[in-house]
Amino acid sequence: MILEISNLKKIYGDRTVVHIESLEINSGETVGIVGNNGAGKTTMFRMVLDLIRPSEGEIRSKGELVDRHDGWKDYTASYLDEGFLIDYLTAEEYFMFIAGLHQMTAADVTDFLLQFEDFFNGEIMKKGKYIRDFSKGNQNKIGIAAALMQNPELLILDEPFANLDPTTQIRLKTLIRSLKAERKMSTLISSHDLNHVTDVCDRIILMEKGLVIKDIRKTENTLSELEAYFAE
Amino acid sequence: MLSTFLDHQWKAFWRSKNKGGTIATQLLIGFIVLYLLGVAFFLGIGLEGFIAQVFPKKDVFEVYNGFILYYFAIDFMMRIQLQDLPTLAIVPYLHLKIPKRKIVNFLNVSALFSAFNVLPLFLLLPFCATAISEISGPLASVMYVIAIFSLMIFNNYAALYIKRLSIQNLKLVPIVLLIIVGFGLLEYFKVFSIAAISNTVFSFVADHPFSALGFTIIAVLMFIANSRYLRSNLYVEELSSNKVEKASTDYPFLDRFGKVGTLVALEIKLILRNKRSRSAVTMSSLLLFYGFLFYKKEALDKDQFNLMVFAAVFMTGNTISIYGQFMFGWQAAHFDGLMANKIDIKDFIRAKFLLFTLFSTLITLLTCLYGFISWKILLIQFAAYFYNIGIGTIIVLFFATRNCKAIDVSKSATFNYQGVGASQWILGIPYFLCPFLIFLPFSLSGHPYPGLLALGLCGLAAFLTRGFWVDFLVKEFYKRKYKIAAGFREKS
Repeated sequence: MILEISNLKKIYGDRTVVHIESLEINSGETVGIVGNNGAGKTTMFRMVLDLIRPSEGEIRSKGELVDRHDGWKDYTASYLDEGFLIDYLTAEEYFMFIAGLHQMTAADVTDFLLQFEDFFNGEIMKKGKYIRDFSKGNQNKIGIAAALMQNPELLILDEPFANLDPTTQIRLKTLIRSLKAERKMSTLISSHDLNHVTDVCDRIILMEKGLVIKDIRKTENTLSELEAYFAE
Repeated sequence: MLSTFLDHQWKAFWRSKNKGGTIATQLLIGFIVLYLLGVAFFLGIGLEGFIAQVFPKKDVFEVYNGFILYYFAIDFMMRIQLQDLPTLAIVPYLHLKIPKRKIVNFLNVSALFSAFNVLPLFLLLPFCATAISEISGPLASVMYVIAIFSLMIFNNYAALYIKRLSIQNLKLVPIVLLIIVGFGLLEYFKVFSIAAISNTVFSFVADHPFSALGFTIIAVLMFIANSRYLRSNLYVEELSSNKVEKASTDYPFLDRFGKVGTLVALEIKLILRNKRSRSAVTMSSLLLFYGFLFYKKEALDKDQFNLMVFAAVFMTGNTISIYGQFMFGWQAAHFDGLMANKIDIKDFIRAKFLLFTLFSTLITLLTCLYGFISWKILLIQFAAYFYNIGIGTIIVLFFATRNCKAIDVSKSATFNYQGVGASQWILGIPYFLCPFLIFLPFSLSGHPYPGLLALGLCGLAAFLTRGFWVDFLVKEFYKRKYKIAAGFREKS
């Protein structure tokens, strides 16, 4: 078990935005989190990453409390939004910076980014631009690639398919699948795109107003089930 | 249409998130502006008597006439540095059914709303109404007003025009600055005198009032040139950004510090590549000239160091206090990223220490040039240097753990009070009081040199026990980590 959430609550004023009794993520699982805006997906992610202090409850990563220890940072990589990018660096500098944090050399980075050539589609590297001057979609690509580069055991992506063009969306799915096959990576993905998320994940968690409403293994009926729920 | 645009601007100003936070801050700024305008106004009214007092042997009119062009020459330089291009405001209108002509008009009119266009009215016009109308008659007085008005308009659009051209062609700014500096030097070495030229020109206006319309003509020409340029280049891309290849850089000398060095390199890039941080640091380097005001020969001879200690602490530590007061708000935009990544907070704090030490060391080396005035200055400055890197850095970082206000680094720093909060106001008190607590007891009892030694030793002691202080600050940081991160997410 890589992630263990118990009795997690986040309360703003008198509004409970996240309330999760218990949630466990096993290693090697790809979990999709769906839910309308305000369901608490991003808030939960931020708490998992120790960016927001939970009002109640605890989050353990490999048994260690995330707000007490820093150990999870060694094997957790994440990309939630542009706030994770350092926008005044060039893409190359940003990759080097992230790589440096994980004791990777420049050669490692070049090596790793080779498999991203398709994903980047020639729009990222050697462009002579700062990250702030890239389009949103390309910023997204940089963030996702930087997260994957850290060779994580736990990967957390918030709406990774948003702002990406169709080709890249499909490439991202292939990438996540192949990485999962290569090493035992657990992935948490939130998405509004039910097709993609059911396609790539083997477990779906449905949230509404901070609560986990459904937690299901994926079957061939899952997509229609979810569509039925959201159509209501 | 124009009034709609201006109405939008007005709303944009008052509803802006970055308007400077607290009411107290706004009140203070309001008072400062009122005070400055008041001073300008009274200076303007009392100009006649004032000139007579300062230059008793000279003719009042000669001084006044000589002053006008001088004023506008300085005004022009200040505008080039400080006046903002009102460009981005037009983005939401470009794709709508609004003729280009109107958008250009809007840009031109909104450019007039600048403090630079208010000051001369207070400073220069009262004299026209009183002294000049008395001596040369009402017609000359009116024409003087027209001339000054025209010069102001000319300066306004000329500065904007040059700034716009310089976006397309980066080499222009250094060339213009070189020309201005050249004029300044010629004036300094008395090759020619702006004052003399100004005096000749305006004496001519006094004798032949209608010649003032010449200024109006050049102002109108400048206005037309500016409008034409805008009309043919009305693309935000071309008006606001320049397309220089951005290159990746390394700072190999920081490699030896390991991860701490990487973080310092990151922050140096932050400073150099963002507008607000860059101007904050450049401005603080201007303060290096403070020494000329404070290091006085007589005081040095008498070993009266009190004011000089202040100046030295201020100069060798100005980047620490000016840049450091907004810490960690500079990194607000990617603070979440830093926290979620594999960065040890200890390294994070250590990196700040290293950055400050580098800053301060560099500046202290520069200020060593004051040593040519007297060797005593070197002693004062090194004591101040040790204070800054030892104690000053700790004070600044302690306050940094209490600052939750994000800084928008993309905006210009001049008159920008976004992200200013209580911690910035309070910070200065301990920072500049502390050295005196150490130094004054010695100096008042007549031992200035042991005082300097004590100041330096206290700083050195804090510097040598840095490990302890890092742990202390890390603890302080953890206490407020979520609050800081949440504050930064709000983008104030």
